[in-house]
Amino acid sequence: MIWQQFQSLIGSYPLALRGLGMTVALSLISLVLGTLIGFALGILRTGGNQLISRVIGAWVDLIRGTPFLVQIFLIFFILPELGIELDAFTAGIIALSNLAACFICEIVAAGIRAVPTGQVEAALASGLSRWQRMRQVVLPQAMRMSLPPLVGQYVLLIKDSSVVSAIGLTDLTRVGWLVVQRVPNGLLVFAIVGIGYFVVCYPLILLARRLESRMGAAHGEVQL
Amino acid sequence: MIEFRGVNKWFGALHVLKDITLSVEPREVVVVCGPSGSGKSTLIRCVNGLESTRDGVLVVDGHRVGDPTTDMTELRAEIGFVFQSFNLYPHKTALENVTLAPIHVRKIARSAAEEAGRELLARVGLADKFNAYPSELSGGQQQRVAIARCLCMRPKIMLFDEPTSALDPEMISEVLDVMVSVAEEGMTMMVVTHEMGFARRVAQRVVFMDAGAIVESGTPEEFFSNPRTDRSRAFLGKILRH
Repeated sequence: MIWQQFQSLIGSYPLALRGLGMTVALSLISLVLGTLIGFALGILRTGGNQLISRVIGAWVDLIRGTPFLVQIFLIFFILPELGIELDAFTAGIIALSNLAACFICEIVAAGIRAVPTGQVEAALASGLSRWQRMRQVVLPQAMRMSLPPLVGQYVLLIKDSSVVSAIGLTDLTRVGWLVVQRVPNGLLVFAIVGIGYFVVCYPLILLARRLESRMGAAHGEVQL
Repeated sequence: MIEFRGVNKWFGALHVLKDITLSVEPREVVVVCGPSGSGKSTLIRCVNGLESTRDGVLVVDGHRVGDPTTDMTELRAEIGFVFQSFNLYPHKTALENVTLAPIHVRKIARSAAEEAGRELLARVGLADKFNAYPSELSGGQQQRVAIARCLCMRPKIMLFDEPTSALDPEMISEVLDVMVSVAEEGMTMMVVTHEMGFARRVAQRVVFMDAGAIVESGTPEEFFSNPRTDRSRAFLGKILRH
């Protein structure tokens, strides 16, 4: 019985690969976009402009304080009513990138704030411009502190990507739903789905742990 | 070179600089001393705009500090500042600390900056520490790197904010020796310090501050042998006792 189910599961491996591919593609694109936007937001958040900082803070709070599923529904079902048509993939990317950007913004901002004032003063006193201070002095030190939580955030992002199956994208989780209709063994199917996610996330978890122990190193830049 | 005319500063309700008038000539070395909280650090932090002033005029190297038309970034490049807590960049080696601003602010070629940096580090006695990170250096060594970092910009003015206060006693003289040699080369310097030996050796003038005001100003000989006010006598009594 189990053996038969297993065989028909093996038969659906092209679908599973497609799902895994979709999950990885969604995660990877959102991870890159979210990181870029998150860094920009984090730098702006700690910059001198109070208004910009407040607006970003409010947006981050809003996104962090609402369920991701609700955010996806708003983007996919409500935006078209305002005349913005999005396919499911684009909607998923937007929602995931936005979520990642908001979390990464806070991580980066916390890292920047943790750099001692004396460092900024030394850079200021030597005549470095605003961007040079950020690029040469503040960000490298902020990165040392931000990197472990940043990688941890990537793991969360990959897992959150499973929510996009709710708007019909055939990612790993949705493949699970499709397969379980043919192979009526939910435990087996979703165990395999879980393993799929774990295989993608585990290297990142290991990386985060390694970076964290590197943080204890007294000096030098973090090298990946 | 540096001129304060009627400068005032408040931290909230606290009047930290009271009507400061002081002028420092080119090549002059002025030591600023006074009890803690007297405003001496605030005074020199105003010179390169790390602190803002509220009224009065402060002219440095011909530029008005705090004036919207003054490019403070440009002015700061001409002013070296040595901090009490060194503030070396922990993610950069000694040589990288020294060459960062010359490369990015002065736009000097990396090779030329590194050559100048090695020369300066050798001059402050750290020829064997080019590639050491700040965490691998003692306090005295870090402060000497910090001085070399300022010198590598070829500044017109150097400001020292209690450069030896965070050091273990046995490391104070190695830093003071470097400062003396910088002074003897004719650098314009304002030095906040309680190292009266240094003041006697190289300062043309000692300025004594208390409660945000300049109470007394004179040559080291005058100030040490014949302090004119009760407050300066009390202060000298405390720091010279041991």
